[in-house]
Amino acid sequence: MKKETVKLMTAPAGMQPGGYVMKAYADRVNPAIEAAQLEVENAGQRWRIQLRWACDKPLSTVQGETDLFPDACAIFVPTTAGAPWITMGDKGKAVEGLLWRADQEKPMGIRAEGMGTMQRSAAQDDWSVKAAWSEGYWTVTFQANGWAALKQHQQVALAIWRGSAQDRGGLKSVSQGWIAAV
Amino acid sequence: MKYNVPTPKRQVAMVLDLNKCLGCHTCSVACKKLWNSDDGTDYTYWNNVETMPGKGYPAQWPQTGGRTATGEVKQGELPNLDNAYGRAWTFNNKAVLATDQASKKKEWLRPQESPTWGPNWDEDHGAGQYPQENHYFYLPRLCNHCEKPACLDACPRQSIYKREEDGIVLVDQDKCHGYRFCVEACPYKKVYFDHQRQVAAKCIFCMPRVEEGTAPACARQCPGRLRFVGYRDDKDGPIHKLVDKYKVALPLHPEYGIGPNVFYVPPMSPPKLDDQGRPLDEMRISMSYLENMFGKAVHGAMDTLLAERDKRRQEQPSELMDLLIAYDWNESFKLDGKTREVI
Repeated sequence: MKKETVKLMTAPAGMQPGGYVMKAYADRVNPAIEAAQLEVENAGQRWRIQLRWACDKPLSTVQGETDLFPDACAIFVPTTAGAPWITMGDKGKAVEGLLWRADQEKPMGIRAEGMGTMQRSAAQDDWSVKAAWSEGYWTVTFQANGWAALKQHQQVALAIWRGSAQDRGGLKSVSQGWIAAV
Repeated sequence: MKYNVPTPKRQVAMVLDLNKCLGCHTCSVACKKLWNSDDGTDYTYWNNVETMPGKGYPAQWPQTGGRTATGEVKQGELPNLDNAYGRAWTFNNKAVLATDQASKKKEWLRPQESPTWGPNWDEDHGAGQYPQENHYFYLPRLCNHCEKPACLDACPRQSIYKREEDGIVLVDQDKCHGYRFCVEACPYKKVYFDHQRQVAAKCIFCMPRVEEGTAPACARQCPGRLRFVGYRDDKDGPIHKLVDKYKVALPLHPEYGIGPNVFYVPPMSPPKLDDQGRPLDEMRISMSYLENMFGKAVHGAMDTLLAERDKRRQEQPSELMDLLIAYDWNESFKLDGKTREVI
């Protein structure tokens, strides 16, 4: 089993698409989440990936409100060699993964070929997520069966959104590169 | 603007004569009944009518948008239901209906919360000392379908686009992920968040009606006949005459620099009174207040309005006054319809 403390960085506002975010959030240089514990366990076709990070103000109920964003995290992998992690892939070099939101029970599948291109879809039926907040920490555990891209490339990257900091979209804390999954 | 926004072939636009708005909210009701009666948009008013001077809706919108007074991008704020939009009230209907008529205790209909803000909370409050200078006017607002939309520029997913055929700005809700940067960035705060579908939602300028040559519901239902609808490039149409020919219709807060396509004829107001109740030369709504809303061009617009009004008082012809009076409603709406708007 792979176990690692992953230092996080803020996704650079200057790289965000459009003219607003890059200027309005130019002062966001420190990540809202500084580090996360990553565990990756592989048994045959089964993958268990767990993230744990400090969060003193968990936010999971946002329904019916206009200014709230839920805590969330994503684990993603390259589908081809050389897919850039910082831009969530590039044209012809997709990344794919799993997204958990604190206001939803099921994980979502995600796929992107560059910034602003992420597509969300229902995850495979036999892929799941369990999440719990306790004593100032979120612990989120993904179970994925038969993740071909992960098996092939054996690399992961992660992103965490802190709802209380109004993180969403490109406003997030991310790993500083691809991380060896085994 | 970072994105390249192609200039549309034509631009549909609206002019609102603030001298004629009676604050009846028929426009808001017409819009809401047509487009926004779902749970997720319960709080939204694509069209609303504010009393000015006042806080507006959402509260303090000129201060919370994503543009500075010199048109630079700044971080906007996301309005919330408690302080900015106003949370929907719940009423004690059951208790009222169950009141025993024989009982001495009467239960009156009332909200069960203690609300402190909501749409039209400060309606008709206005400003100024009574009776010398008290004043207010109504400001109906809708999306400005800007030339350089701040909402469009704010969307990392390029979910917002400006239609090539008529310049209407729309949200592709299939692409939207509900990040709400558009809500933050719009300096007019005219993009809303559908909290059920988790997507952005905004005025569509009644696009299906416009495609049939019919004016948007807010304009068509206005009892005061204060709205004019047409294309910017139609030199025989009301928009060109009011905006470009007579220059009496002005964009709201032009300093934001994003080119609104909704224009306002500024309100003339009665004179202030001196201590003896005699009229002074100064209007109750100060020109500095109007300049703050409509820019320096408001001075020329007001001069023209007053001069043309005087012409009409002297029984001289005035194309401008005739147009603003809206003798013939068909002159107010000039789209591409094959039939006359009003029979």
